[in-house]
Amino acid sequence: MMRFTDIVSLSFLNLRLHKTRSLLTSLGVIFGVGSVISMMAISKGAERSALSQIESMGIDKIIIYTKKPHFDTSGGNSSGRGAATSSVEDYGLDVRDYQFIRTMENVHHITTIRNTRQPITKGETRLDLKLCGVSLGFMKDTSCHLTSGRWFNEIDFRSPSTICVIGQNVKHRLFPLGATDVVGSNIRTPYASYRIVGIISNDNGTSLPEVGSPNDLILIPSNTDLSIYGNYASESQGRNRNKAILVDYDVMLVNVANLEYIDNTSKRLQNYLEKAHSKSKDWDMIVPLDLLKQRERTQKIFTIVMGAIASISLLVGGIGIMNIMLASVSERKKEIGTRRALGAQKFDILFQFLIETVILTTLGGCVGIGLGLGLSEIVKRYAEMPTEASMTNILGSLLISSFVGVVFGTYPAWRAAQQNPIDVLRSE
Amino acid sequence: MNDDVVVQLRDIRKTYNPGGLAVHVLKGISFSIQRGQFVGIVGTSGSGKSTMLNILGMLDVPTSGDYFLEKVNVATLSDSDQATVRNIRIGFIFQSFNLFPYLTIEQNIEVPMIYKRVSPRIRRARALELAKVVGLGHRLGHRPTQLSGGECQRVAVARSLCNDPAFLLADEPTGNLDEKTGNEIMALFHRINKEQNVTIIMVTHNPMFEPHYDKVIRLRDGRIVQTKPTDSVDELTGPLSGFGELPQDRMAADAKATLTTTAEQEGASR
Repeated sequence: MMRFTDIVSLSFLNLRLHKTRSLLTSLGVIFGVGSVISMMAISKGAERSALSQIESMGIDKIIIYTKKPHFDTSGGNSSGRGAATSSVEDYGLDVRDYQFIRTMENVHHITTIRNTRQPITKGETRLDLKLCGVSLGFMKDTSCHLTSGRWFNEIDFRSPSTICVIGQNVKHRLFPLGATDVVGSNIRTPYASYRIVGIISNDNGTSLPEVGSPNDLILIPSNTDLSIYGNYASESQGRNRNKAILVDYDVMLVNVANLEYIDNTSKRLQNYLEKAHSKSKDWDMIVPLDLLKQRERTQKIFTIVMGAIASISLLVGGIGIMNIMLASVSERKKEIGTRRALGAQKFDILFQFLIETVILTTLGGCVGIGLGLGLSEIVKRYAEMPTEASMTNILGSLLISSFVGVVFGTYPAWRAAQQNPIDVLRSE
Repeated sequence: MNDDVVVQLRDIRKTYNPGGLAVHVLKGISFSIQRGQFVGIVGTSGSGKSTMLNILGMLDVPTSGDYFLEKVNVATLSDSDQATVRNIRIGFIFQSFNLFPYLTIEQNIEVPMIYKRVSPRIRRARALELAKVVGLGHRLGHRPTQLSGGECQRVAVARSLCNDPAFLLADEPTGNLDEKTGNEIMALFHRINKEQNVTIIMVTHNPMFEPHYDKVIRLRDGRIVQTKPTDSVDELTGPLSGFGELPQDRMAADAKATLTTTAEQEGASR
């Protein structure tokens, strides 16, 4: 047997000798690996951003929220007063629900959010910001963090205090850039004025149903909300037409005590709500863990499909390589025969060709990885999609491309080793 | 068996297509070669000398008969062992040199040592030493394409010697060379044989070199028609029976005729 280093250097020599052919031969593997790496990076990035969005809602939570039902306009509580009519719409999650759910098994605590539906204006412009009454656990349960000032404490909830905490977008919208005295200043709304005590921020892209990102919210303690607004909100509907809306809670973040039984808890919760709100479906439910599982299932299917595509492209690349190597074997019959006459074992010949193929595919794999990383970088830069190349994928691709070399190099190498050296000497 | 017998053949027969339309190429060949002998196996095309060469080089197996290489019956060796024997006991020299064009002269000489797992350092030293023996010590870094035919064959000779083989097996080593260069190569073989006591078996149809041989084995139709020790230059005028119709044969014979001025004999042989 030849020394391994001699085989490797001989293989490199042969590949260098046929640079163009080597390059063309490994193109299949290069593009196969390149597309796999870039597709993996793109899908991984998409998955990561989807997952972080789901996870930011908290997988140990069940989110139930008020959904505006379809009202029958002919009936209801409308009081006819000529042209200017007003109506009352009473729907959604209410205090009874809260009381019941709080005592359910496996429910740790509930964080409530109520949108006061008060218009927030800056001068004459109405801003797309919401004033919400929230309970103490809001900041933690929406994975927000404090950027300045303070969060509410229990004393703020004991007596209605006119203070608020604002999301960071609120600061950007209401205050000039670089304002330093935001904490301590006041926000005016039609019924009250609130002193800002803190600013919170959410970097995870959390989006609560019906209320949106915490960054766009002005938060007041739920007790303050209750004492100033009750459960009442009014909404103007065009000219001279006002509508009263009675909603107790817009969102409830139900934290479970034991994640293991979250399925059971969510089912019981659903059963309860279906019974309690049998008249109209004015609520909905999100279980982030379910979304996560669903997402993982989708991801699994995607991975299988991608794996199939990758396998096919590598198969095609491998067959191309096998073809070229077989041609190379017949082209190098004389070399093989001479080497056999000079004392090469069959194994020496076999390994020489096999190592050559493996080096070819592995180098092709390396180039493919570079290509794939470049592609995903371009996608990240110009399509502004998050991409993420994982080390596992890179090493895996490298390993697989070497493996392709072994699989598709063995037959040509075997053919080379079976060459009869007499043919060489006779061909003179 | 004499201690100094390198090669011994006993009733070697080779039949192609046995069972069908059998072609008997070798019909019972027996001879032995002593260490240090310069042996010429001569014969026309179709005489069986190529098959003889393949069997001696362990590239082909006889249909029957025994081939002892340094007292070892090669038929008992596995394919892998035969490769090893080819590697370290036989030095092949081919008509068309069979150098690797992409390797330097030095690397070409090293090839058999690579298969013997000799370390690179020793390989280089040995290659340099042998290149000097064949007179190419200054051209180690060149490639075969930069060399003349004669120089290429010198490289091949150096390559065949690198593992200290039991014998060199040369297949028409001057066949691709002009007469002058061929003579130089023959002189090189002669020198190696005499100075280093290397056994050489040369298969050729060229009768011109018979003076160099210690022993001539003449084949015709798969049989040995003549085995003779040729010791002196006088034998140059020996019988030429058996040389056939190939143009090379005629050319060689013509060349010989001009040397010996025995035109009548040449004509008779045809």
